[in-house]
Amino acid sequence: MRRKQIVAMAWENMKLRRLRTSLTTLSVVIGITAIIALASLGEGFRVTVTQRMEEGFELNVLTVIPGSLFAGLSRERFRDYQVQNITKIDGVEVATQVMQIGNVTLYNGEKKVKAFVATAVNFTDFIKVFPDRFSFDAGGPPAQGRNDTIVIGYKVNYPNETETAFAKAGDNVTMSLSKTEQILTPPFLRYVMENHTFNVAGTLQKKGTPGLTNFDYWIFIPLETARNIYNTEESDLIFVRVSNPDYSERIADSIEDLFPPFRISILVPLTFIRQVDYIIGLVQLFLTSIASISLLVAGIGIMNIMTVSVMERTREIGIMKAIGAKNLTILTMFLTEATLIGILGGLIGVPTGYGLSYLLSFIVSRFIGGQQQDSVFQAPETQRAMVYPIFSLWWAVGAILFGIIVCVLFGLYPARKAAKLDPVKALRYE
Amino acid sequence: MTAVLETRNVKRAYQMGKVTVSALRGVSLKVEESEFVAILGPSGSGKSTLLHVLGGLDRPDEGDLLIDGISLYALNENKLADVRLHKIGFVFQFFNLLPRLTALRNVELPLTLADVPEQESIKKAKEMLELVGLGDRITHRPTELSGGEQQRVAMARALINDPKIVLADEPTGNLDTTTGGEIVRLMQRLNEEKGQTFVVVTHDPSVAENADRILFLKDGLIQGEKKGVGGAYH
Repeated sequence: MRRKQIVAMAWENMKLRRLRTSLTTLSVVIGITAIIALASLGEGFRVTVTQRMEEGFELNVLTVIPGSLFAGLSRERFRDYQVQNITKIDGVEVATQVMQIGNVTLYNGEKKVKAFVATAVNFTDFIKVFPDRFSFDAGGPPAQGRNDTIVIGYKVNYPNETETAFAKAGDNVTMSLSKTEQILTPPFLRYVMENHTFNVAGTLQKKGTPGLTNFDYWIFIPLETARNIYNTEESDLIFVRVSNPDYSERIADSIEDLFPPFRISILVPLTFIRQVDYIIGLVQLFLTSIASISLLVAGIGIMNIMTVSVMERTREIGIMKAIGAKNLTILTMFLTEATLIGILGGLIGVPTGYGLSYLLSFIVSRFIGGQQQDSVFQAPETQRAMVYPIFSLWWAVGAILFGIIVCVLFGLYPARKAAKLDPVKALRYE
Repeated sequence: MTAVLETRNVKRAYQMGKVTVSALRGVSLKVEESEFVAILGPSGSGKSTLLHVLGGLDRPDEGDLLIDGISLYALNENKLADVRLHKIGFVFQFFNLLPRLTALRNVELPLTLADVPEQESIKKAKEMLELVGLGDRITHRPTELSGGEQQRVAMARALINDPKIVLADEPTGNLDTTTGGEIVRLMQRLNEEKGQTFVVVTHDPSVAENADRILFLKDGLIQGEKKGVGGAYH
């Protein structure tokens, strides 16, 4: 039979039973809407989270930390030759070690500020590792060879967002730090406080990025100075910058090979992000599957209504068969109606779904925004959590196709029933 | 003359609840090309069953059936549908037009099924409606047509694929005498002008007597035959 005529007849039939067609289509629309809304919100959520993580992590930077989650934290310390070995690995641009000094207080005349941690770094290499993050508000990196300089992070310089800065570039500040001192013989140790004076070489700009390496809360002193104070050749962490994040996992393996087993751990941002991405992907799939159930329910509705329709049109089917319609033609006629409902449902459902997802994202972001206001984790400078739904052509096409497939699958039974009707009986049917 | 339709000892029985009803008990008949044959019988004689079997809508339990030399008994459902489409035209007592299609679309339907291009099929359907005298009614739907007009549309539909044989089941049964007479005359005219073969099943002797040949069907058997007035033409 001519395809155009089949479609025309199917359309006529649908128009004739307008209410029935509308309601059946509505059920498909609801199913597609649910799928699209959840999928696009999920996609938006995934992208937002991934973006935030990429902001928070430097994808190019691997962090080597002592100890291992499998074998317990060791007191592994790093030495210069290990850093040099890491630098030799193919794909490593630069590796630099840092020392972290806890419990530090800074004094500038009357002003006093407590920093969580002072980080002792080799400024030249450290800036090479974090070129984008280490940007100065005033001043600059310490001059080569000066060992009495300090660089102060934004939040240390402006604690509680106060107007006045703790220190300006060029100020002399006093750092009070604690160190342990041997008394008599081991294991007798005591804590002593020591004061050291530093010249402020520069203050850092506000970054406000989330993540491990938000330097807003950090202060930096030269590594050599810290080593002198603590009389050590060792360090706590190694930052490794790789030329391409794609190599980071291979390079991490090479770094691990340089150390005895389970003595170090390496934080590979890419792996982490990939894991999170994978998990969110699973959640997204799960939500979409739940939404798909509503489409299946719509499918049952289609099956139900088409069965009724076949009964009502028994005589018509008999006539068609008597004048020479093949079973396949009858089957096609009914499946065409199911397909049209699927297409119609998809075409309406996809935009409705995106509309709904924008509405949901608006409501959710307001809700979360309000909730997080007083939270410890919500730094005031980070922007409100906002998840924008993402339009994906593939999701749209997929949802429409899925809708059509469901309609056709559930329409298959009644359509087959129609096709198999005995023409003689169908003609007698009143 | 060659036989366009031939049955050999066709039997057909139905299961009505627990009772088996033998509708056809061995029907053998031959219809020649361009012949107008009436099958006359009272209700319950097996007329409709015979017509359904002749038209390939129903399969006989036994016996063979040849249409234009093709044995229908051996055909699968698709081939049978093709035979109905190309070799046979049906006219029913209750017209059996598709209610939502216009007269033109109803007539065109068999061409649509045969995948004839739209332009050509519409042209042909118009011609056919002209032929049955409904050239001015082509856009009407069946509900907007009188019984006689509907039966003419049905006739046009039966003829559109240029079938070997037109099978009519009580074509006047649902019409008043005047309109019924017109339909019979239309069939006669088509038979005479186009040489169209007709097999008309009826219980009405006044319809049957217009045929070339009348076969009497009773209790599922052909009980005899005689020449009708239409026979004078041949």
